[in-house]
Amino acid sequence: MAANFWCSSQCRKLLDQEEVGHLSPADQEIGMTSEDAKIIKIHMTDYIKTLAQQVKVRQRVVATAIAYFRRVYTRKSFVEYDPCLVAPTCLYLASKAEESTVQAKLLIYYMKRTRAVPQEKCTYEVPDILHMEMKLLEALDFYLIIYHPYRSLLLLLQDAGITEMTKITWSLVNDLYRTDLILMYPPFMIALACIFVASAFQEKDTIAWFEELRVDMHVIKNITKEIFDFYENYSSLSSERLTAALRKLPQRT
Amino acid sequence: MVDASNRTRPSWLQQYELVGKIGEGTYGLVFLAKSKLSANKGVHIAIKKFKQSKEGDGVSPTAIREIMLLRECDHENVVKLVNVHINHTDMSLYLAFDYAEHDLYEIIRHHREKLSTPINQYTVKSLLWQILNGLNYLHSNWIIHRDLKPSNILVMGDGDEHGVVKIGDFGLARIYQAPLKPLGDNGVVVTIWYRAPELLLGAKHYTTAVDMWAVGCIFAELLTLKPLFQGIEDKSTHNPLQLDQLDKIFRVLGHPTPEKWPTLNNLPYWQTSRQRMQGPKSESCVLHQVVSLQQKSAAYDLLSKMLEYDPCKRITAAQALEHEYFRCEPVPGRNSLVPIQPNEKVIGYPQRPVDFSADFECSGSQPQMVTSSHAVNNTGAASVPGPRAMSQQLPLGNMPRLAPYGIAGQTGMPGLPVNNLPVPRGPQQPHPQQGKRKEPIGGIQNPGHYASQSKSRRMQ
Repeated sequence: MAANFWCSSQCRKLLDQEEVGHLSPADQEIGMTSEDAKIIKIHMTDYIKTLAQQVKVRQRVVATAIAYFRRVYTRKSFVEYDPCLVAPTCLYLASKAEESTVQAKLLIYYMKRTRAVPQEKCTYEVPDILHMEMKLLEALDFYLIIYHPYRSLLLLLQDAGITEMTKITWSLVNDLYRTDLILMYPPFMIALACIFVASAFQEKDTIAWFEELRVDMHVIKNITKEIFDFYENYSSLSSERLTAALRKLPQRT
Repeated sequence: MVDASNRTRPSWLQQYELVGKIGEGTYGLVFLAKSKLSANKGVHIAIKKFKQSKEGDGVSPTAIREIMLLRECDHENVVKLVNVHINHTDMSLYLAFDYAEHDLYEIIRHHREKLSTPINQYTVKSLLWQILNGLNYLHSNWIIHRDLKPSNILVMGDGDEHGVVKIGDFGLARIYQAPLKPLGDNGVVVTIWYRAPELLLGAKHYTTAVDMWAVGCIFAELLTLKPLFQGIEDKSTHNPLQLDQLDKIFRVLGHPTPEKWPTLNNLPYWQTSRQRMQGPKSESCVLHQVVSLQQKSAAYDLLSKMLEYDPCKRITAAQALEHEYFRCEPVPGRNSLVPIQPNEKVIGYPQRPVDFSADFECSGSQPQMVTSSHAVNNTGAASVPGPRAMSQQLPLGNMPRLAPYGIAGQTGMPGLPVNNLPVPRGPQQPHPQQGKRKEPIGGIQNPGHYASQSKSRRMQ
């Protein structure tokens, strides 16, 4: 529940690599690859962040919105659910769930100014967001509470006595929302993996501390592998790669 | 001939057999239905329909809160959200709950107005224990309910869970662990009679203790059948300071002092209220007289700890469950309505009145006649002569919806089947308007709804 990740629906519904990478038949039919899908999700994650800065909501709202977005596409197709509308609507829904509601018309205003796909004009209006909100609730199976690694990160850093690493580990966590890790692992494991990676980088000796925690180091290493894969292959996308992927999205105007 | 609305009817509706309407509020309507699914065939379900808000802001934050929290909650004393459905055609949202036949508002009223006898001690204790048990679950999961009052405490009717308490209506509930905005930002909450003194004095950072105050008020009301602090709400002001409510509290518990409540001087309205409140300021507490309990009794000890002024010192749900009161005879039980002692009389509480003319699609003001085959006709109402003819004489607008908490002009016919007709009663006892329920999030407040809010049943 709210205080206990282990009793939460998020915990019961953690997905494996295959499930998060699943590409719907409809998307396959239009020639989209799972690589394209991955790139589109990264781009839309960034788009949610951009909109969030404009409408001024906090980090946790952004993180929840991105988790919604990624969860929706483990079940739905890009063909049926236009990511250019889904991404802002996820932000809209997350702002309600996190008790800092953003008005739909404000979102529309910024969607028109900052387009999700630069080549395509945004023709969506308020009713489209409201309609999509309903569809998203359904697609999310009405599970709206999302746990994030941030809180555990701060507690863990304190426990390890390395609070000077807050900044680097915090931005690591932020970066990881460009992956599907939040759908796959318990948030505190993601936090631990970020501490693990950051301490390797900064040559902090946290081995003894990790040993004392008695967590499953295999899981930490799996997450670490994902982190390295992300930074190696996806942290900065070339515009050609991005354009090629976005071009596969069905034209809606 | 098939009605046009029938064709657009969402398929999920097929799993329910509509019985009728049982409540109405700002958010929408509450229906009673029976499940047609083989797994729980015939089981009663309460379906709360949320209308799309007209302001163009989509699903109401109230609905979002209820869905989000209840989707994760799993406890015997918390109402169970069975399912959520959407009708995309009219953008309405339906929440399906396990149906509870009774609630404390109706139970208390039945004793006050029909039986003129107090609720027996076993029942009071069992109800209270289960409320605390549910609340302890919520609080330990960082959820504050914020709107506890008798009509939100549901009690299950006949069946496996007979007499089991379910805390309902999470439309104002919030997770309070690291909220993004201070909790005080959500506007005035909790019906005025059950509102804790720190809220009345303008506290910004309130805690789970506000729920415990409300439980104290409910406990007293179970004992005396009368609301403990019936203040008259000053609706002219948006600020939380409610002088009459404070006055009612102070008269019973004595005036608080900074010695007993150290943070009192920090509360925004403390000085103002002192200046504006006339008359002698007695510090003496007459609570024991008001509730007719011996000051040395365990019941009084528990009650006075729930009604402790200082929220930091107020008893918590977990502590209350361990209180001596629950260890002495009669010990509380799971079926709060049926005492274990064989010589105790079992009271048949009335069932909720049902408006059989209602359809899932109807709005409160403009009922549509039911055309679908699975609605009214199949409820078995045919065994009662003329329900439909009768219902046509009783347009929805005239439904006895007078009681301050709900729609219920209770027919008060215990033991009759659920398809009883709602018979309008004589004039209701005048009750002061219940506290307004302000839509919390800034910018989408909806002041026009306050008036009708008091009528809302808020079933679950």
